[in-house]
Amino acid sequence: MGQLVLERLTKRFSDIPAVLDLWLEIEAGEILSLLGPSGCGKSTTLQMIAGVLRPDTGAVQLDGAMLNDVPPEKRDIALVLQRGLLFPHLTVGENVAFGLKMRGVNRADRDAQANAMLRQVQLAGFGDRKPSELSGGQAQRVAVARSLVIQPKLLLLDEPLSALDANLREEMQDLILHLQAQTGVTMMVVTHDQAEAVVMSDRIALMFDGQLRQVATPEHLYRYPCDEATARFMGGVNFFPGHAQGHRWTLATGETLMSDVAQNGAVQVTIRPEQMRVLDHPTAGVNTFAAKVMSQRFTGTQRRLTLSLHSELVLQAWVNPTQEWAIAQDVYVQLPPDALWCFPSDSNPAADLSLSIT
Amino acid sequence: MPRNALILLIILVLFLPFLPLLVWSVAQGWFFPQLIPQQWTLEHWQQLLSASSRIGEGVMQSLAIALTTTVLSLLVGIPAGRAMGLMEFPGKPVLKLFLLTPIIVSPLATLMGIQFVLIRLGLSGTLLGVVLVHLMPTIPYMTLVLASVFANFDVGYEIQARSLGASPIKVFSQVTLPLIAPGVAVGALFAFLISWNEFLLTFFVGGGSVFTLPMILFTLLQGGNNGLIAAVAITSIVPGLIFLFVASKALQNEAALGGLGSV
Repeated sequence: MGQLVLERLTKRFSDIPAVLDLWLEIEAGEILSLLGPSGCGKSTTLQMIAGVLRPDTGAVQLDGAMLNDVPPEKRDIALVLQRGLLFPHLTVGENVAFGLKMRGVNRADRDAQANAMLRQVQLAGFGDRKPSELSGGQAQRVAVARSLVIQPKLLLLDEPLSALDANLREEMQDLILHLQAQTGVTMMVVTHDQAEAVVMSDRIALMFDGQLRQVATPEHLYRYPCDEATARFMGGVNFFPGHAQGHRWTLATGETLMSDVAQNGAVQVTIRPEQMRVLDHPTAGVNTFAAKVMSQRFTGTQRRLTLSLHSELVLQAWVNPTQEWAIAQDVYVQLPPDALWCFPSDSNPAADLSLSIT
Repeated sequence: MPRNALILLIILVLFLPFLPLLVWSVAQGWFFPQLIPQQWTLEHWQQLLSASSRIGEGVMQSLAIALTTTVLSLLVGIPAGRAMGLMEFPGKPVLKLFLLTPIIVSPLATLMGIQFVLIRLGLSGTLLGVVLVHLMPTIPYMTLVLASVFANFDVGYEIQARSLGASPIKVFSQVTLPLIAPGVAVGALFAFLISWNEFLLTFFVGGGSVFTLPMILFTLLQGGNNGLIAAVAITSIVPGLIFLFVASKALQNEAALGGLGSV
């Protein structure tokens, strides 16, 4: 129950496509994040699924039933919006019971269900309070309870945690994941925060400019991004133009790297800054280069080093925070072959420039 | 303490003009050199309440017209205000200006034409005709007040309610209306008071057969019985005061003000 299929979904606003030809399947019980920068069309997609917006073309299907002509209140799709949006004229209990009331559930039953739901979000006894008496985190928990109490087939969350501060956010993530596991509801989270998407979802659908760029598990998206924009959005910082011949990749600055992945032609080579190894003594390993520490920054969980090779290639390495380094210290940096990844760079402007010079 | 004194001063300034009216209504003659009337009497009030006066009829007609006008302008003003406040569409600034024209342009300029149309429709001299012309100033006020209410209204509430299973009608009655209630109260107060106090439009379109309180007041002014005029004037203020009192109670309800910014 709760399998969502989006088929060639397109929506234009005065001829400018907000969502273009979007295909997406979400399995029953899956948690999928729709991730992308603001203005990429993810909220438009959410509104089309919820029934607030009508797609120009394409179909929204839930459990095989076509939803395009079904009004929002009959879709069995519940929403949790960014600001919580508890109805201010109702008590917390009445808010949670609202959906049940609309379904004609009698008062005693809906009070009992609402109270049970409030207990599940750890707000037992809050039923008689007004929403204005709640903190941001509590209000958001009530909003989640209000949406889950109607046992929807699909729960849509639109930036549900972005209004909360960091500590609260993790607590809420745990709570939402816990409730999802208990109810088995299919869940789609719309967010611009890649860290949040990674923590919360089984799969991430990355969206740029109204189109899906890559749909994959968080780990896959981290390790094997399909292009530079995706890699940058997932927090990638090291990108070097080069040329690949099978497993042997030569960077434009002269270094030769051995990689587990085979590729041919002009490429953009990337490596996650967390996967680099930095040592203070020479080592015999493959892909190891002498480097100098240019700068360092301590973030608490990491020490972020900027390293410069002799060829003046600059790279970022995020390493163990407990080891200390000095500026201008000579170090050795190792790029593990299994951590290297690349994508074809035929449209790389830097490469074009170098061609025109020679 | 200075704050209370200030409030007292404001009340005094606001209510001082009514004092002479009160005195007039119970005075038996009150002429220039005298600071207070020589003789007191209740005869004006008795006259007002006697069966022969047409005050009762006037109150009923005023009430019927003002309430109908208020309800009709709410029916137009709520959807219109929603569109003006929430939606962006081409020609919106022009429409906003167009809405203001009945307030800017003196009714004297348009009354002849309106009267001509109403006579043709057989509505001149009827309650319905009077209600229709009263809608001219009330609908713009109502629409503008509600447009500013809706400009501060978060449509997310309606989207949320629908996703929870509420039909559009339920969304309006259970969510939208309670949230905009303070604005609706303000708009209704405006519409009611404009209609209640309207003289010129009623005078022309009513053609003597519609007899509201301001009409009675005007007739009495020509008669020159100051005591009776004062009594009628006070009577005509009372419903406005009651309405204001009730509305201000509604506006003090903090929960009702949720999501309401600038009214």
